[in-house]
Amino acid sequence: MTFLRLGLWLLRRERASGEWRVLLLALVIGVGSVATTGFLGDRLKRAMSEQGASFLGADLLVTSPRPITSWPATPPRAPGRPLVTSQALEFSSMLSKDDAFQLATLRAVDAAYPLRGSVRIAPRPFAPSTPQPAMPPPGAIYVAPDLLPLLSASVGDRVQIGEAVFTIAGVVAEEPGQLGGVFGLAPRVFLRADEIEKTRVLQPGSRVTYLYQFAGEPERIKAFGAALKPALDSTQRLIGSREGVETLRGAFANADHYIQLTALISLLLSVAAIAIAARRHALRHYDQAALLRCFGATTVQLRALYAVQLLTLGLLGSLLGVAIGAMMQQALALLVLPAAVTRLPSLGLAPVGIAIISGLLALAGASLPALMRLIHVPPLRVLRRDLPPLPVGAWVSAALSGAALLLLIAWYAGDAKLVGVFVGALAGLIVVLALLARLALFGGRGIQHMANGPVRFGLAQLLRHRFDSTLQLGAFTLALFLVALLALVRSDLIAGWRQQLPPQAPNFFLVNIAPYQQEAVAAYLSQHRLKASALYPMVRGRLATKNGAPIASTLPEEARDSNTLRRELNLTWTAELPANNTVLAGQWHGAQRAAAPVKRSPVGGPSPRSDPSAEVSVEAGMAERLNLAIGDQIGFQVGDQTIAARITSIRSVKWDSMQPNFFVIFAPGPLDAMPASSIASVYVPPDAAGVLPGFVKAFPGVTVLALDKLIANIETVFDQIIGAIQLLLGFLLAAGMAVVIATLLASLDARQQEAVLLRTLGAQRSYLAKGLWSEFLALGALAGLLASACAEIAMALIGDRLFELPMRLHPWLWIVLPLAGALLVGTSGWLTTRHITRVPPMQSLRELG
Amino acid sequence: MTPSDSAQFPAGSSHPLQSPSVVTAHALSQHVPTADGTLAILSDVALDVKAGETLAITGASGSGKSTLLGLLAGLDQPSAGDIRLLGQRLNDLDEDARARLRAGRVGFVFQSFQLLPALTALENILLPLELAGRADARERAAHWLERVGLAARGRHTPRQLSGGEQQRIAIARAFATDPQVLFADEPTGNLDADTGARIIDLLFELNTSAHTTLILVTHDDALAARCQRRLHLVAGHASEAALA
Repeated sequence: MTFLRLGLWLLRRERASGEWRVLLLALVIGVGSVATTGFLGDRLKRAMSEQGASFLGADLLVTSPRPITSWPATPPRAPGRPLVTSQALEFSSMLSKDDAFQLATLRAVDAAYPLRGSVRIAPRPFAPSTPQPAMPPPGAIYVAPDLLPLLSASVGDRVQIGEAVFTIAGVVAEEPGQLGGVFGLAPRVFLRADEIEKTRVLQPGSRVTYLYQFAGEPERIKAFGAALKPALDSTQRLIGSREGVETLRGAFANADHYIQLTALISLLLSVAAIAIAARRHALRHYDQAALLRCFGATTVQLRALYAVQLLTLGLLGSLLGVAIGAMMQQALALLVLPAAVTRLPSLGLAPVGIAIISGLLALAGASLPALMRLIHVPPLRVLRRDLPPLPVGAWVSAALSGAALLLLIAWYAGDAKLVGVFVGALAGLIVVLALLARLALFGGRGIQHMANGPVRFGLAQLLRHRFDSTLQLGAFTLALFLVALLALVRSDLIAGWRQQLPPQAPNFFLVNIAPYQQEAVAAYLSQHRLKASALYPMVRGRLATKNGAPIASTLPEEARDSNTLRRELNLTWTAELPANNTVLAGQWHGAQRAAAPVKRSPVGGPSPRSDPSAEVSVEAGMAERLNLAIGDQIGFQVGDQTIAARITSIRSVKWDSMQPNFFVIFAPGPLDAMPASSIASVYVPPDAAGVLPGFVKAFPGVTVLALDKLIANIETVFDQIIGAIQLLLGFLLAAGMAVVIATLLASLDARQQEAVLLRTLGAQRSYLAKGLWSEFLALGALAGLLASACAEIAMALIGDRLFELPMRLHPWLWIVLPLAGALLVGTSGWLTTRHITRVPPMQSLRELG
Repeated sequence: MTPSDSAQFPAGSSHPLQSPSVVTAHALSQHVPTADGTLAILSDVALDVKAGETLAITGASGSGKSTLLGLLAGLDQPSAGDIRLLGQRLNDLDEDARARLRAGRVGFVFQSFQLLPALTALENILLPLELAGRADARERAAHWLERVGLAARGRHTPRQLSGGEQQRIAIARAFATDPQVLFADEPTGNLDADTGARIIDLLFELNTSAHTTLILVTHDDALAARCQRRLHLVAGHASEAALA
């Protein structure tokens, strides 16, 4: 016990020492970043699982783009009472009040909705809410709170949906499945299912999702689900309460994974700082350890003494890190999560454990080699200062640290492949950064020769401590690089969206134009001199067959899960090749086959005969994904019919042209008789914005999508996510600074000795100060330059592949990053080392012993 | 909790032959391998120090004084020969067993003082007492601080003390555990003549009252002259001369 007490006593007495502070700081940063992401991920997961069935609003949910009329009977022997059911419809439509209009997601519900969980309605935004049936009273709707300011409306106001007028009766404070709407772009509205009719919003061909909810005893639900599954086609989905949560969890887990890896990089940078601080601590404590051995301390006792110190620091740092993590995650949660999640109890115990274990593991891996040397100091060192401690086998140190770090990485990355990729990428990055740092330092030699006085002295320091400088430069460049990369992705993406919009590009989409409205809409637009695209009819259909065989069977296993196969596509027909489309292969079908006969057959009936006159054009990406080629006969299931046509052309489409774009364009003929609504895009100049309220009033069923608002919404969501990640990158930057400080502290004694010598020789304080400032400013600026280069290269590589952004240089980056680097490294470096310029040489000599 | 031998051997110096041996060495040699072959630092040194005796090990720089001191204190293992410390054969003990033997029974005073910079003067004296698990550690530390005349400086750290003051603290630390034997390596080596003389006075004054066996290494003839015996080393070979 004595040695444990002694360890704590010595630790307390040494608490002000620089090494402990840096060690603690680095640990707090590392654990803080891990805890932040851990808490956030845990909170999401717990929110999902705690909500369970109430998350889905039911025990079983079936979604379908079409009404389902026949249901399998529950097996007669299934136990329990019959299932409870509820039916809802979800679709997008416009809400308008006076001159304001806004797209919203409407859910038309019956009295039973939701079967599980509850909908909470409040009398006004942010007021206390109560659980209520989601079905509003007749003539009323409940709206999401964010809809009110968009419409300049408040509870009690009347708004128009389609051709009907409703009173806003309350605000939806919480509803089942809200998690899924984290990034929803259109605010939610609840209305009565029996009042859809009077809005006349839904037209044949309108995009609607039918939601069928079931609840009952588990056995019965299970039997019903099993019977139902084979009867559904690929556009219909059966979601169990578990599965619903799992799907979401999968999506979040993916994002979570990458965010956690960012946290891991912070932790690894912290490990570097800890290792440097621990090494200096050991160096400065060899005499202490030797003395204790003289006084009779055994290896076991020394081990206990230093272990208790390390453990105390580890726990202290981890707890502080966890506390910071808890605060940060709260900030993040407020930034990106909906109220339903933030209302949940926020702190789980699991992430606390994970963060603390990560911290201890990082601390152990980084500092054990140094401490092992400390324990093995020969007592004779008290007489012979030059006697080094017994070296601990290099492989033991490497194995210890390596094992601890690999364990950490494996833990975070999850699967072996990701571990490999991560370790490989990190190792590659470290090698590249080290090489770049060396090259830059080499280049610095030229500048050094040109400089004079203290600047020359400062730059010489940078070159003299070459290993330290490389390490500092590498760590700080990595941090700055990742911060810059994120900033570039964000600004380039948004700039990309904005730039790609040519002046007078369409800024509104008109969707759901009923056939009977087409002429009136065209007349209205031309009357107001609005430039509109062609009107494209739209029918929704799912690709079902290729050359008579089910499409899935013609594809390799991994391609069968394509999103193109799972959902219904918007099919259109036109004789004109739309602008922004280019035929890559085959020949555009044109109008010559306008009179082609329609080939239809009921579902499940015999395949349609190959009809050489029905032609279709397919987008190139889709053709590649689904292995489609010119001459292939493809069949679409449209409603209860199958339409077949031969591919006669393959097109490229400029998707960002803000025009209505389609994967599949039929030649006029086969689809003519299908129930179709139309879509068009239109450019409304800013001075003509007043035309739109009139349009919405004249055509209440037509949905007006404001593209600029949509982009602004996407930007907001994007900014929230980026903001969240940037908070994490703050940790990374702090960890980079910890490395710089730890390295500087490690060289402090040598620097102090040099400073004493210089001052004895007559150097003034200001000379030393200028020298230090030049060294750190140069280091920071160099890190900024290297990070700029890395970010530009990375952006050129991934920007093109991931986001299809054209390569471009970012001159501001080359100014901002070196400035930021100089500022951060300069300040932290000066604060760490200024002591040596202030202490009188005599005191310095005494301090150095 | 080793009882002081003072009761059994109230005046060790006056009855050396009747006192038990505290340190003995027989045919002691220390060799180190170098690039040019093996270097003999100590060759065939024999020694027997009784309880209460004072012994000065003298010799030129590099003659092997500190090496011998280290071997006698069990801080290192000899290449050849036997050493017994406090009745135990050191050759049979590993590093940790030798450390256990030293705990609370062997004191040290070093040329470079070896005070822990983070601890105050009082705490530095407290350290070996805490290590030895003494219940009255704090009282004893305060007592010894007063004995060396630095009661008023107990809360000062080594940095705030002069060299002489630091060595006083180191001496108080060495005596605080009532060691049976005290090893001192050039205790005045880092001090000026006046301070050195005062430190020597203090060392011998305390040694006399505590009846501790004292083995010290020194260049200083004045200091060596204060010891009962003197072992002179020349290139690793020892010759003993009794002192007046």
